[in-house]
Formats: sequence, C-alpha cells, structure tokens
Amino acid sequence: MASSLAWSLPRQWSGLLMTETDARPLARLDDAALVAECVAGTPGAFDLVVERYRRSVYQICYRFVGNHEDASDLSQEVFLRAFRGLKNFRGQAALSTWLYRIGVNVCLNRVSTKKALDSTTGEPIDAMDLVDARHDSPADRLMREERGAQVRAAIAQLPDKQRATLILRTYHEMSHQEIADALGSSVGAVKANFFHALANLKKILEGR
Amino acid sequence: MHLTPEQFVDLAEGTTPESSTPHLASCEACRRQLADVRAMMTAAADVDVPEPSPLFWEHLSARVSEAVAAEPPQSGWNWWLRAAMPFALATAAALLIAFVMVGRLVAPAEQHAALPVASVAPPPAQKLPADTTLAADVTDPSLGLVADLTQDMGWDAAREAGLAPRGSADHAVTHLTEGELRQLRDLLQEEMTKSSD
Repeated sequence: MASSLAWSLPRQWSGLLMTETDARPLARLDDAALVAECVAGTPGAFDLVVERYRRSVYQICYRFVGNHEDASDLSQEVFLRAFRGLKNFRGQAALSTWLYRIGVNVCLNRVSTKKALDSTTGEPIDAMDLVDARHDSPADRLMREERGAQVRAAIAQLPDKQRATLILRTYHEMSHQEIADALGSSVGAVKANFFHALANLKKILEGR
Repeated sequence: MHLTPEQFVDLAEGTTPESSTPHLASCEACRRQLADVRAMMTAAADVDVPEPSPLFWEHLSARVSEAVAAEPPQSGWNWWLRAAMPFALATAAALLIAFVMVGRLVAPAEQHAALPVASVAPPPAQKLPADTTLAADVTDPSLGLVADLTQDMGWDAAREAGLAPRGSADHAVTHLTEGELRQLRDLLQEEMTKSSD
C-alpha cells in the first residue's frame, strides 16, 4: 500500500508512508546522493551530513577563532547556512569543499567583528571543560598549549585571505585548486597567499 | 632573478624538485627563504585543535538539528502546488463549463427569436415518435405556437435550429465555439489520463 501510494505523493508525504523495508540506508549513500535526499526532504538525511562533516567544520572554525565556544557557535551557523543553501548546491565542487567555503565565509564575517586574538588567553572555563586533554602529562600539555597558542595567535593576525589559505592548505589538506574554488580566486593567487602567509607568520613569531 | 612565491611553494611542498631550479644553487637568499617557508609550514602543521569531549559532537548535532527544525520548510510552495494541482485543474474545468453555460443563458433573446423557424424543414428521415408531441403538456399559448411549428421536427433539426433546452449540458456543448471545444477536450483528456494512471 505504502509503495503504491508513494509514487504520486510529494517526498515529504511518502516519507510518512515508508515502512522499515522501504527505508533506504542513508548511511551508505555518497555525498551527492545524500544531498539529493536532503533536498527531497528525507528525514535524517541532513543529520547525516552534519555527522560526516561536523569535526572538520568545527576544526576550521576553531582555527579561525581559537576558542571552543565560538567555534561551536560558528559550526552551528555553518550547518544552518548549508541547510538553507542545499537546494542551490549543484555538486560542481565536493560537498566538503562547499562546506569549507561556507565555513570560511562565516568565520571571516565573525572574525571581522570580533578579535580572535583575545581568545588565546581568555578561553571560558565551561568551554575548557569540554576539551579532552586527559592523555597529556601536565608539562607536555602546558608546552604544547604554549607553543600552539603562539602560532594560533600569529595565524589570527594574518590578513583574511592568507589566513584562510593557510588553514585550508595546512589543516584540511585541500589542493590549491580546491582552495581557489572555495575562496573564489586562482591557483596562482592561492599559492601567493600561502607563501605570504608563511612569511608573515615567521615575522609575527619572531617579533614576539 | 629570484624565485617567485609560486615557485617557493612548489619547491617547499615537493611538487617541483630542487634539481629543476638551478637558481637555488647559486642564490643564498632564495635558499634561506625556502628554508623559512618549510620551517613555517612545519610550525603551523604542529598546532592541533584540542579535541572536544566525545559528548560535544552529539551536542553539536542536536543543536544543528534543532536550528534546522526551526527553519521554515525549504520547498513548501513546490509540494503544496504539486498536491493542489489536480484540484486546481478540476476546478478550472468546472468553472470553464459553468462560464460557458452562464454565457449562453444570458445571451440576448433576440438571437433565438430571429431564428428562421418557418424555414426549418423537418428532415424526412428522423421523425419524432408519434406519442412524443411537443405540445402535449403546453398551456402557455406562446409555447403552444412553438410546439405547433416544431411538431414535425426531428431532434437533429431541433438542435440545428437552436431549440435544445438552454441550460442543459446538451445545449452548452452544442453551442461551444471551436476554441472552447478544444479547451474542454484538452481538460477532459488531461483529467482522464490522470485518473487512468
């Protein structure tokens, strides 16, 4: 009955008639098929997109703002914008690249209104509670945090495009072409930005 | 001439081998610059993002899910339109028929009065049955006259003369223009195709 009626109903309605045997295993779908399910309104499809990319989106956000609380808020914002824009996603780029692009834009907008540098020393206590550092010795953790904080602070001072390029290239292993697609620039410009980002990073770290 | 930023990046990442850039061997400044680029790449790569608690990921998913649920439906218009389309078409067909019938009902009476009733000759082939006289129940004298004139008229001739009862489906259909007929035929065909699916 469910399958005989489902053909003529909108996908949102046919979802209500789906039986266990009809249900497609969303987890097995590739990104393109999953996006199609999201656009069709299949329940649970977008949750799966979030599950697949929440870690990398959070990491991008964290690298931009340098603290857990803002990174968490920004990650939510990235996924919300992705949900709103899914119907316009044509699949020219990989879903990850598209999400990173949204992430970079959301972060740059936020960072432009709020100094990320301040966060390296002023992480809220409740946010620190959510960070899992149980496997480090206190000394190791302190040294790592110290050095990491310095480099993160230096990265936070880079101009927007240089910072975005450095983050996407270094931490998300995106190719120069993918970064160019994400930032709307050319491969040559991406390489130049990357070079200048590294050169400026050195200057900032030496100036401390 | 020194290396360009692109060349430095390609060399630092290993895309281009140093042996293919002879300038490096002779330029101390470019060698130093390349070493700096590599050192900064390593320094940046060494910075980890602190791993949040495992609970955080579920918390983030739940927050996103709540935010998404609060969004208005993405393609609400589309599926409402799709759902309402059959009803809209049926209504349009009914309205068209009603419009045509009302148009015929309110048409000027002169149109019918001017009909050349006297010249209508009863076709010999299709006579009304003897017991079906139009004047049988007529009490109105004017209608009686019409009944007398059409007593020997067949159904086809009566239709041609415009005497099909106005307001009847027969009257409405036989008085449609070519365009109206085509439109009605298309609508009916569309509805029948849908119902046969």
